[in-house]
Amino acid sequence: MTNFLPSHTAQLGSTTGEKTLGRVAVVAAGVVSPLGFGLAETLNSLRQARDCVTAVTRFSVAQCRSKTAGQVSDDRLLAGLSKGLHAKRLHRASHMMIHALGEAMTQAPQFTPELIVIGTTSGGMSYGEQYYRSLRQSADLRRAPTWIANYPAQKPVIDAQQEVLGVSAPCQVIANACASGTNAIGHAFKCVRSGRYRRVLTGGYDALSELVFTGFDSLQASTPEKCRPFDRHRTGMVLGEGAAILALENLDLARKRGATVLAEIVGYGISTDNFHITQPDPSGIGAQQAMERALQSARMSAGEVDYVNAHGTATVFNDAAEGMAISALFNGVPVSSSKSMMGHSLGAAGAVEAVVCLLALTGQFLPPNINFDALDDDLDLNIVANKSRPAAVRMALSNSFGFGGTNASILMRRVEA
Amino acid sequence: MSLAIAGMGWVTPLGKGVDSVWERLLHGDEASAAAISEQFAERSYSAFRVPGSALTGLAHPRLRRASGISRFAAAAGLDALRSSGVKLDSQNAEQIALIFAISNGGVVYTKRFYSDVVETGAQSASPLLFPETVFNAPASHLAAILRVCGATYTIVGDGAVGLVALKMAEDVMTDESLDYCLVVGTEEVDWLLCDAYWRWRLLRLAPPIEPFSKQKRGMILGEGAGAILLARTGSIAIECAHPGGCYGKRTEAEKILKEMLRDLDQSETDFVISSANGTFIDQAEEGALETVIPDAIIYTPKPALGESVGASGLWQVILGAQALRHREIPPVLHANPNISLRLSFSRTPLPRARQAIVLSSGVNQQLAGLRLGIR
Repeated sequence: MTNFLPSHTAQLGSTTGEKTLGRVAVVAAGVVSPLGFGLAETLNSLRQARDCVTAVTRFSVAQCRSKTAGQVSDDRLLAGLSKGLHAKRLHRASHMMIHALGEAMTQAPQFTPELIVIGTTSGGMSYGEQYYRSLRQSADLRRAPTWIANYPAQKPVIDAQQEVLGVSAPCQVIANACASGTNAIGHAFKCVRSGRYRRVLTGGYDALSELVFTGFDSLQASTPEKCRPFDRHRTGMVLGEGAAILALENLDLARKRGATVLAEIVGYGISTDNFHITQPDPSGIGAQQAMERALQSARMSAGEVDYVNAHGTATVFNDAAEGMAISALFNGVPVSSSKSMMGHSLGAAGAVEAVVCLLALTGQFLPPNINFDALDDDLDLNIVANKSRPAAVRMALSNSFGFGGTNASILMRRVEA
Repeated sequence: MSLAIAGMGWVTPLGKGVDSVWERLLHGDEASAAAISEQFAERSYSAFRVPGSALTGLAHPRLRRASGISRFAAAAGLDALRSSGVKLDSQNAEQIALIFAISNGGVVYTKRFYSDVVETGAQSASPLLFPETVFNAPASHLAAILRVCGATYTIVGDGAVGLVALKMAEDVMTDESLDYCLVVGTEEVDWLLCDAYWRWRLLRLAPPIEPFSKQKRGMILGEGAGAILLARTGSIAIECAHPGGCYGKRTEAEKILKEMLRDLDQSETDFVISSANGTFIDQAEEGALETVIPDAIIYTPKPALGESVGASGLWQVILGAQALRHREIPPVLHANPNISLRLSFSRTPLPRARQAIVLSSGVNQQLAGLRLGIR
């Protein structure tokens, strides 16, 4: 085991608090999503405004209203991975995490994490489903121990580290519903910023599952049509899946060791609005507080933000509340929701969308909000409609909001060469 | 950073109330196991259930449809706040963070929801049940009851998750605008959970749990919740919350535990609250304790209360704090008398106890530990 304590011990007993604020660099990133495998494919999909939502193939959706999702190819997930029995047993969520972490560590081979903070909502849920179906149908249960052992939410996090790094840093797995990924990145950011940790891996993952798909369908939150965030004719969300990893490091230390700095994370805001377990406060106050707190944490003003990657699920309630909150804080900032292209990947969403912001900052463009026809009459937003476009993007804000009234926002800044 | 325990609450198979359950443990009481069965299966299991009397007086609109896991958590959390004397209102609602430790989550409603899907198809999936299947449902209910409007986190993991949550609380409390952090661990039992652990060869069909037994006959699940309100100052301190570790193979657990114990045992450790539960983790803890702190007195609550996974770490810390406060430790039940560790086979006075270590070894690769001290 790598002993994770020594660097940490120096900080135990100190009360660094928020006063001695370190700067937090993103030194590597990896992503797997319906937009593609890796940063390059993702960038290409974003620039070309690809619609990556397809008919669901993993389970029957015959009785669901919604029939589509953003899906990651199994063939590509398994290609190139070890063919051993161990790899075959792993859940596909583990495979997604292995790909994302593998890509990130290729960029930063010397990065040794002291902590890993990952967001998810459902762990290896489809293995739980297989186990339960087999029980009910008195089917073969010889694989049950494998399903059960690979079901827990921390398993893909540990699997990915064991596979890519050979060791596992202590892990904190955050399950704050659809805000999980942004909460994980925000918490990791604060861990590095406070000086308690020097290097933290963070991100999120979720794999499509029948239970979750059916659940959103039962709530009539998902749509049988296209996902149209902020559109006048929006009818709901489309689910997705994926995994994304960011390697965070104290900026000074990263520069000292000559690491490439992709961007900075400069602010994080979290709020809980307690309005309803599945619906946001219609006034948008929860979303607004999260964004305001992110700006306060960064000591920046709303006018300095060049792009907002919205939560933008395309549900009537979310987009109304979030749209109101954005227009209350910002004056005409360009807004888009990546979920229009790849669906809502739940615990992975915040992490994948942080990667989208990273690419917008490094590539100097605005990612698109596709399937967009006309803005909701009640909203006053500057939507990046249907096509990406070049822009000077120095500061990007990413929102994630979840069941239970949990709201999170992070702010990322371009690092000038 | 050192944080202090300002309040504690728990709901256990031996009832509710920190001091009353503590007294029962000191007297060597063991919860009664209830048979737990399932309509579509022949095999039944045993589990330590929370008695209905432990939840009397718990009424809030948010809990009307909530599952046991949320009710246990609310009862324990409210008790922890009550015992601290801290009153939450609109003035200080932003100065408290809420962190939940969960392992299996709302398994009762999850099973019911998915059962409808399997039996009659997706069209009969319940929109009322689905939100309660989400891991952070218990946290959102308690946040709504307490009107917490700032940081609320649910973290998931195995039996070590309670201590991981306390470590995360230490990280979160570096934000000096926070005065308190309420950490809650909670778990509910269902036949499905018992069956899963049994198929994984970690569960036995009936009590007792025999800690540190060579046979490793398995655990019995328990349910309930534990809650600890952390503050900046107080007489019982979490002096060091170890970052913990993750083992790839079961055989690596002992080595990691040894390193953790060496880090935590910076002066004389008087006693250890172990997580031994009758499974393979006992051997790892035994080997590590025997090597690093052979003189410390060892106690495990699992034979009396069951393996409550998400709640267990919080229960262990509450027990450690109680032992430091009351200067004695309950007897370990059903333990192997020939073991070389110094187990507390009977109610044991600890007149000079000042430091304790709490170890949580999860069956799914996570290990965590912390050091408690009395000032």
